Amino acid sequence: MNDPVAFVSAMKLLGAGIAMLGAIGAGIGVGLAASGGVQAMGRNPDAAGIIQTNMILGMAFAEAVAIYALAVALIIIFVG
Amino acid sequence: MSEVKPKRRFGVKRWIILALVGLGAYCAFFGPSILKPITPQVSLAAENTGLHIGSFQITNTMLATLLADVILILMALGVFRFIKSGKLVPSGFYNMFEAIVEFMWNSVEGTAGKWAKRIYPIVATIFLLIFVANMVKLVPGFETIGQIEESFSGKGYAPVKLFQVGSLEVYTIDKGQPVNLTTSTAEASITYAETSSAEGEAMCTSCDVVGFLRGSATDLNFTFALAIIAVVLTQAYGTWALGPGYFSKFLPFKKLIYGGVFGLIDFVVGILEIVLEFAKILSFGFRLFGNVFAGALLLSIIGILVAVVVPAGLYLFELFFGVIQAYVFFLLATVFISGATIGHHGEEQH
Repeated sequence: MNDPVAFVSAMKLLGAGIAMLGAIGAGIGVGLAASGGVQAMGRNPDAAGIIQTNMILGMAFAEAVAIYALAVALIIIFVG
Repeated sequence: MSEVKPKRRFGVKRWIILALVGLGAYCAFFGPSILKPITPQVSLAAENTGLHIGSFQITNTMLATLLADVILILMALGVFRFIKSGKLVPSGFYNMFEAIVEFMWNSVEGTAGKWAKRIYPIVATIFLLIFVANMVKLVPGFETIGQIEESFSGKGYAPVKLFQVGSLEVYTIDKGQPVNLTTSTAEASITYAETSSAEGEAMCTSCDVVGFLRGSATDLNFTFALAIIAVVLTQAYGTWALGPGYFSKFLPFKKLIYGGVFGLIDFVVGILEIVLEFAKILSFGFRLFGNVFAGALLLSIIGILVAVVVPAGLYLFELFFGVIQAYVFFLLATVFISGATIGHHGEEQH
């Protein structure tokens, strides 16, 4: 507390770490999408192509949340 | 049992690879300090290379994008020449190119149906550009060869002169001479600094390498440019397909006037659709940027912690992610554009 500059930079790192908590949900979401996709492909291998496309789409949307968290964390650390 | 005893082979390549790994380990752990990895300076914004057109500064990500463009044009010319030659069965590089093009065409056709022919050129261009930019980024020396400049964070390393070719002096930065006490380690960066000692430019004391080239997608300008192009084209294709009626998705006045309470709800939903279009730009831009930038960061940080073997695996990972991100961008653009051409339900039925 005696060194305000160090305190602020420490808090920045802490904030970036907390911001990355957003990745938890995205991880669960991507895992669910992959699990559902693989099960569907196992049941119906003929439809693998279209299932894969939609699975990747869903994963991309789920992953977007983690990427927002990452962008926030990066901006906290490296900007300003 | 078997008569043919498997001949013991002494491959040459594996020993070369093993020797290189050993050499890398030696350099990273026991070698002279100029070969040791140094902590990279991370900057979110692209750095200036010092080149400029008028007052317009050219950043290193722009140069990298230009490089990717040149490679793409060369590829296109090569394929064009191949097609002109009249051979039907492609081989080698052209085979790969045909596989990529066919794969993209199948994806677009599966999503867009009869509009595929009109959508395909745009999204395929986006895919190829991101793909080539992500691949070319992984060439060694891409971010480590550059100018040495005064480190902006104050932490840096002393420059050491390696050799001189004509008036071009080549420096590296010495991990053994940290200025301003940095404690850690990172990638060995060789620097080609075109110092203009004749012009009397002061040499930096605590130095940092600013690469001539840096991955295009590690710049928000690149990803947001592509995102804006994709979203604006979504509107353009929507208008092309449905005429001015396309915009009734955003401002459904007709429903507001004749629809009663539900018309009001539809109107508010329409306003949400406008917000959604802007959210698309954000998610497009940040997805690509975040993945590629985080990948580059991961590589350099793993380079500090474990200098040998592990970065090779991560390189493989980055190779995979470069393709996946290009594919995701391409797929989302295809889905959005083809969704705009189909139009929304309800208009035809009511």
